[in-house]
Amino acid sequence: MRQLADLAAAWDARPWGYSRAVWTLVLALDALPWPWGEEILARGFVARAFVRVTRLRRALAWAGAQPSTRHGVDGATARHALGGQRRIGQEAGGLRRWSLACSVCRHQGLFVARSALIGVRDPEALRRIVVARGEEHLAAAGPGAILLGFHLGPAQSYLVLRALGHQLTWVGGRGASPAWAPSIRDRFQREHGDLFYPGRAHVWERRLYKARQLLVRGEHVFISADGGGTEAFSVPLPGGRASLGAGWWFLRRNTKAPALPVLSHLEGRTQVVTIHPPLPPPLADPALDTEACREAIGTLLAEHVKQFPEQCYSLVFGLPSDEPPRSRQ
Amino acid sequence: MMNAITLERVQAIVARVAGPARSPAAPGPDTPLQEGGFWLDSASVLEVILACEAEFDVAFDPEMDFDEHALRTVGTLFSLIEAKRPG
Repeated sequence: MRQLADLAAAWDARPWGYSRAVWTLVLALDALPWPWGEEILARGFVARAFVRVTRLRRALAWAGAQPSTRHGVDGATARHALGGQRRIGQEAGGLRRWSLACSVCRHQGLFVARSALIGVRDPEALRRIVVARGEEHLAAAGPGAILLGFHLGPAQSYLVLRALGHQLTWVGGRGASPAWAPSIRDRFQREHGDLFYPGRAHVWERRLYKARQLLVRGEHVFISADGGGTEAFSVPLPGGRASLGAGWWFLRRNTKAPALPVLSHLEGRTQVVTIHPPLPPPLADPALDTEACREAIGTLLAEHVKQFPEQCYSLVFGLPSDEPPRSRQ
Repeated sequence: MMNAITLERVQAIVARVAGPARSPAAPGPDTPLQEGGFWLDSASVLEVILACEAEFDVAFDPEMDFDEHALRTVGTLFSLIEAKRPG
């Protein structure tokens, strides 16, 4: 059980972008055994969508733009199975759309809960609910690799990789949530040299300068590809587009370090973090380089969206605010 | 031999990174590096910093040097580089 002083400190450190109501709920639900708090928050986000209907409309629009998937009732299959009657097929398609829209809202709640590690008491408990795939790609990349995260699926893939024994430095706005259990913060956040510089001027210049030094020294860094700020290029996806930032792009071109996309999704209650093979090496011509990366990332993200449309909250609701606007890249 | 640090050379580096589309018509020491001047984003500011390090053989300390004032204009960047020069 969390100490009262620690709870008060967590309340005072409410992260940017969290309303008081959500933050209160996050801290209150942390007292429940895992995964009760996660489940309650997930259901709460579905209920909230029916109150704040703008969110529901967005989720429905997103769901309507997705081709028939494994999620819910497949429209084409339903039409075939039910004798090809158009009306019945439309109803099945409508059901699928509603089912996917509700699932998007539910997953957003799950991800908010998971980034606060609601109900996860210690490092061992964390390790039991995460798994990494594709680690062989990181081993093959050698020293000094850029691990490139995306806001699709549960956040904090860097924490998962660190919990599973990988040495890396996080470059970005939000590190440990104040809601994390102190033992998790102590083990996986303190003394890891993550590059935050909260509240400082030219925060991204500081982060990228240090990240470049680490890469040159042969250390791995983890940075979000789609964290907002200046856009390097974008990738069109069904129902939206992913905007890729200039920070990782600068690091990759400046250091020639291999950049390995890292995607994250939930399988049941387990967060699966998948390290993919590196992007093509940088080309001298920036335009050609952009095209090569756009194609590689576009293929990867399109497949991820197709497989896990219910987990792509950032394409539905926009990117979460990791830090105040003046600190963006 | 050490390269002479001049405002013109610093300005030329900034203009090269910004490119003609972002460079103002008549830049000077008071031209901001970012909004209302060369419109550099963070990655481009860093590109300028690294180019200056290479060109003038200086090394920056991001903890100490990257403050609001030092990276405000071409002139303040020039002063920062001069201050970093040994001797």
